Amino acid sequence: MYDIIIIGAGAAGLTSAIYTGRKKMKTLVVSVDIGGQTLLTEHIENYPGYTEETPGFPSGPKLMQLFDTQAKKFGAEFTSGKVNKLEKTGNGFKASLTNGETYEAKAIVLAYGKVPRSLGVPGEDKFIGRGVSTCATCDAPIFKGKTVAVIGGGNSAVEAAELLTKYATKVYLIHRRDAFRADEVTIERVKKLPNIEFVLDTVPTEIKGEKFVKGIGIENSKTKEKRELEVGGVFVEIGYVIETDFVKDLVKINEKNELIVNESGETSCPGIFAAGDLSSFPYKQTIISAGQGAMAALTAYEYVMKLEGKTGARIDWS
Amino acid sequence: MNVKIYTTNHCPYCHQAKDFFKEKKVEFKEINVEENPQAAEEMVEKSGQMGVPVIEIDGQIIVGFNKPAIEKALKK
Ligand SMILES: Cc1cc2nc3c(=O)[nH]c(=O)nc-3n(C[C@H](O)[C@H](O)[C@H](O)COP(=O)(O)OP(=O)(O)OC[C@H]3O[C@@H](n4cnc5c(N)ncnc54)[C@H](O)[C@@H]3O)c2cc1C
Repeated sequence: MYDIIIIGAGAAGLTSAIYTGRKKMKTLVVSVDIGGQTLLTEHIENYPGYTEETPGFPSGPKLMQLFDTQAKKFGAEFTSGKVNKLEKTGNGFKASLTNGETYEAKAIVLAYGKVPRSLGVPGEDKFIGRGVSTCATCDAPIFKGKTVAVIGGGNSAVEAAELLTKYATKVYLIHRRDAFRADEVTIERVKKLPNIEFVLDTVPTEIKGEKFVKGIGIENSKTKEKRELEVGGVFVEIGYVIETDFVKDLVKINEKNELIVNESGETSCPGIFAAGDLSSFPYKQTIISAGQGAMAALTAYEYVMKLEGKTGARIDWS
Repeated sequence: MNVKIYTTNHCPYCHQAKDFFKEKKVEFKEINVEENPQAAEEMVEKSGQMGVPVIEIDGQIIVGFNKPAIEKALKK
């Protein structure tokens, strides 16, 4: 039995682990990866204290490595895995992982962030890793000399398309509306590239192929005209979603599908705390997730102390 | 033991995997498929997929930074 299980090891979860570790709470961190979305940030230049003078700057992955080392230094245990079930037990909570393992704790910090939104069209799951990618930064170079499609209309989609033009012979940028939501400057820059074609008012209907992706079926949402583009890769850049299936019976969710937390990081369920991008706080940023992680950890500490009949005095520094 | 890792320059999981090997003091050969398109084809053929990293441990192919699978393969 742990004092606390932290689900997710991004900026929020790792910061929680630093705080609970320093409070000598028996802490387990369960996570799919170490670092979360900050791993996808090549240049993080707005994290205070992380500057030219810090080794690794401005790499997001290097910053997360610092978080990780610090959390481990203060005693948190780590296990890699994906939580898919959370239940109340007589004296706390039980978290079940997809690999069959289960762990119990007196309190829980939910810090599992967001995951890329999927298209939900036939062929997408089948070809993930076989031409369908959600990480242009990672996989773009493998599509050298191929024609590819990028789906989405925000900054991440337009930037992914721009990056891909350096490798692919041709890039289709497919967006369901008639205008992009990305920054004007980015759009202007991308418009000038010779090997990009904008396909607006259009949604994908199917991803086709044999072993690898060979094409994408698309439909114009105004004219309903259908056609197929021959592509070797499909990059899905349509934002992020918060997975709430395994927590929605325990904690309250808002209309944006975010976990509702109060100013101390408490959810609607006593003993369950939440921090970071999955929470109802606005502005999804590494520094904000880290701050919320610290907050949730300290509130959880107070909660566990009270359970044990000790005074959970509020501490302003430690 | 023969360990190879296929990477690209900006792939976070490639960096994590390399750090993992360094931490475990496992020697590995890095093949950057961004600089070597022929190696990219080789990687796709071997792994049957197009994502990085791909890790090869004594002929066994592991896709992604799949820590449990890597640990198991290293123990063999
Ligand atoms: C491309 C990009 C660029 C960005 N640039 C910046 C920037 O310059 N500055 C900035 O401040 N912010 C930036 N952000 C935002 C920032 O990355 C996020 O706000 C931050 O990562 C959120 O941290 P988090 O800990 O709340 O969640 P996440 O980083 O999403 O971490 C969640 C963790 O939970 C794990 N997990 C998920 N589901 C489960 C599960 N079911 N069971 C167990 N573990 C699970 C994941 O593996 C991960 O480790 C950027 C984001 C992106 C995508």
